[in-house]
Amino acid sequence: MMLDFDMGKYAAYVWPAWGISAVVLAALAARALLAARRWSAQLKRLENDPDRPQAAQGAVGQEGPQGARRALGQEE
Amino acid sequence: MFGLANPDRFARFTRPLVPVLWGAAVVLLIVGTWLAFTAPEDYQQGDTVRIMFVHVPAASVGLMIYGALGVSSFFALVFRHPLADAAARAAALPGAAYTLLALVTGSLWGKPMWGAWWVWGDARLMSELILLLFYIGYMALRASIDDEAKAARAAAVLGLVGLINLPIVKFSVDWWNTLHQPASLIRSDGPSLAEGMLAPLLVMMGAYLVFFLAVWITAIRTEIVRRRVLSIRARKALEA
Repeated sequence: MMLDFDMGKYAAYVWPAWGISAVVLAALAARALLAARRWSAQLKRLENDPDRPQAAQGAVGQEGPQGARRALGQEE
Repeated sequence: MFGLANPDRFARFTRPLVPVLWGAAVVLLIVGTWLAFTAPEDYQQGDTVRIMFVHVPAASVGLMIYGALGVSSFFALVFRHPLADAAARAAALPGAAYTLLALVTGSLWGKPMWGAWWVWGDARLMSELILLLFYIGYMALRASIDDEAKAARAAAVLGLVGLINLPIVKFSVDWWNTLHQPASLIRSDGPSLAEGMLAPLLVMMGAYLVFFLAVWITAIRTEIVRRRVLSIRARKALEA
């Protein structure tokens, strides 16, 4: 199977469609990965803080919505 | 399965999964692109048929994403589950991006084939545009309310309402006479696509789906971390 990049008279439609798709997917990936890195760094900084409030720690084993909120430190 | 609804357990379970999903998405995208440009050109549509390999996956997965957003909104609204709310929130941006891609690439395909960039009144095009407006409305509503709990509830209601549009998008080509072609992949008598085009399309659909899962799970994990950070900050501010 040979790669065929000659889109002939339709090149003005095919390449923008593929180009825009590539740019949007790359932007989605970059945004997701950069946000993950930024918030993880902030959490690490706060967790290393000796004044960190203890109640905000995780709650493994707490089931249901209430347990989930506790795990996020959103509810006592 | 429901045990994963605990944010800590979800974070632990998905930690090794995330790099696998990103890797699989990249591989599938490369293989799908290679197959798309080795597939034969269509005898009627010529090389424009290669737009199908980015248009159909964006449209179909964009529709699935709204289903995920709607179901997550239901659990967020009924059970007030923060992970369900995080899942709904994390699905909105990739869903909007996919739907926008479906509209733009569809327009680029429509111009050489139909002679028009856009056809007002075409049921498939209009319902797809409405889907994009639901995504944008969902994100705008969340952004417009400062209280995150209230924003989550309001957005969840909107997310649920938008589910009504999904069957309309899917079956619009069957229910009304539209310029848009009828379904050629999911049909009662099997796919009507030529074999040489079916494989690249299925691989690209898999690629778009796995790519979304990678973005989605990464964003849900980030949302869990973000809420912990905000919670710790709020507690510190209270203690100060």
